[in-house]
Amino acid sequence: MLSLLFKYIERFNTVFLRVGRQLAWLAIFLMVVVILIQVFFRYILNNALPWPDEVARFLMLWMTGLIAPSAYRWGGFVSIDVISKLLPTHVGNILALALLFLSLTILLIGFNLGLQHIKMGWIFESASIKLPWQLIGGKQEAMKLAWMYMSIPVGVFFLISVTIELILRNLISLLKPDLSMIMDTDKEKLES
Amino acid sequence: MLIWFLPLFLLFLLIGFPVFFSLLAAPGILLWLNDQSRDAAMLYRNIYNGIDSFPLMAIPFFMLAGELMNRGGITLRLVEFSQALMGHFRGGLAHVNILSSILFAGLSGSAVADTSAIGSMLIPAMEKQGYSKRFAAAITAASSVIGPIIPPSGIMIIYAYVMGESVAALFLAGIVPGLLVGISLMVMVRLMADRYNFPPATTKSTWTYRGKASLKAFFPLMTPVIILGGILGGVFTPTEASAVAAAYAFFIGLFVLKSLEWRDVPKVFTKAAMVSSVVLLLVGAAMAFKTVVSLSHAPEHLAAFVLSLSDNPYILLFLINILLFVVGMFLDAGPAIIILGPILGPVFVDLGVHPVHFAIIMSVNLTVGLATPPMGLVLFVASSVSGERVESIAKAILPFLLVEVIVIFLITYFPALSMTIPLLTGFTK
Repeated sequence: MLSLLFKYIERFNTVFLRVGRQLAWLAIFLMVVVILIQVFFRYILNNALPWPDEVARFLMLWMTGLIAPSAYRWGGFVSIDVISKLLPTHVGNILALALLFLSLTILLIGFNLGLQHIKMGWIFESASIKLPWQLIGGKQEAMKLAWMYMSIPVGVFFLISVTIELILRNLISLLKPDLSMIMDTDKEKLES
Repeated sequence: MLIWFLPLFLLFLLIGFPVFFSLLAAPGILLWLNDQSRDAAMLYRNIYNGIDSFPLMAIPFFMLAGELMNRGGITLRLVEFSQALMGHFRGGLAHVNILSSILFAGLSGSAVADTSAIGSMLIPAMEKQGYSKRFAAAITAASSVIGPIIPPSGIMIIYAYVMGESVAALFLAGIVPGLLVGISLMVMVRLMADRYNFPPATTKSTWTYRGKASLKAFFPLMTPVIILGGILGGVFTPTEASAVAAAYAFFIGLFVLKSLEWRDVPKVFTKAAMVSSVVLLLVGAAMAFKTVVSLSHAPEHLAAFVLSLSDNPYILLFLINILLFVVGMFLDAGPAIIILGPILGPVFVDLGVHPVHFAIIMSVNLTVGLATPPMGLVLFVASSVSGERVESIAKAILPFLLVEVIVIFLITYFPALSMTIPLLTGFTK
């Protein structure tokens, strides 16, 4: 039961986080492009554009939301492990499990607050990002800030699914120490 | 009641809770116990607003520039250039290592990138020439802390943002301290060279060879000129300079030096995005943490406590350096700055220490902490690059750490070392 649940959620994370990473690297690439456009227009053409600042921040927020869960899953969140390493394996595992549940609580509260934040975002409009619907025969429209606010809750959502995976991983290694668990190999590919 | 968030936070950190979650859990739990759960919404919004920032964007861009240069064979050119200049001295490759770190520091803002890039090239070379592996690893680790001191610097961007200082002023203030660390390390190497009979790396290079090496290193060496020149000349903001630096590294890696391949591009961008996302979340959490810090009146309590120890700023600065050094032994510079900046900064600024000067003291001290045992990140990187055990590198690095501690105190007690350039250029008052 546990290991089946683990298998599904592991698969889910592997697939969706991979998509997230692809979008995130595109986002940082576009950020560079947007800022170069800003510099070019202001310094060379003497015409400061209103939108690059906000578009770049939009991209940075989405980059963070989309790729931070991968970092978390691969152990990229900074922590001090001197003391937990000194503990006997069993005690260390239980402590780790307790901390994972605490993280899960924080993330769930954060997700809920994020949803409320998004709700407010439908009221406010972006000052500078206009969606060019006129190009396809519609009317130009300011972007709702909710599209920007969504970035972090989306990230929190995947952080939650990663935390659940980590909890299951921990439980399984505690209950059935000899069961081998799959782990996606994308991290090694990235390092090479 | 709220003041308890600090011990609670430390407890979380010590039992191995990730810094990001600790920054949120400690104040969150106390707000909840205090019946102020409604303020949790404020915590969330502060995280979001903390990340939603234009100045902070320099972090992903400088990370990206660093990754691109690492892949792009730029390190090799810097090392060859250093060798042409300093290889013939006694202890030549050790000097080359330090000079390469100084040059690399002008392109990258991270000590870890410096250690892995320069270490993987120079540690084997030094070993071949008869240096011990642990000495080679130790000098690599010790000199890599120059990376975040000489601009650009990741931790200074974070400090400037969290504390509302000017990034440009901090960058400029870091130049002399960074060079000072480099030169002091060279002096130490020179002193050790006679005693341990270090070999010179090469025979003295001819001027033709030096010319060739300089030509090959020309494009990489232009990066700091673009960054600092652009900021000083008022052409770009630091964020724009960082984007230009990333684009420049991308361009010369792909088209001029041809050392970067198209198929590596997604990998490089992904790595930069991933490392930055962790830092950005931490900064967001720190901004939330900072509001609770001020709600709890912790700086006032702390100031009262600090002043009860002594009211002489010189003695207090001495004590704070010791505190920072100890913290740096266990915690990374970035998170340490995020946590301690808002707590300590206001206390010392009230005592009359210039905010930029204090920022430099903190940054340099905590950066040196990256190379101190038991938890120095660059020691681990140097160990994995060289294959030498962390413990033996930690022992071999002690003379260099001593030099760096002396530099920390020089910077602390001679503000002019860091303040002259930003004052002269008008980036701070």
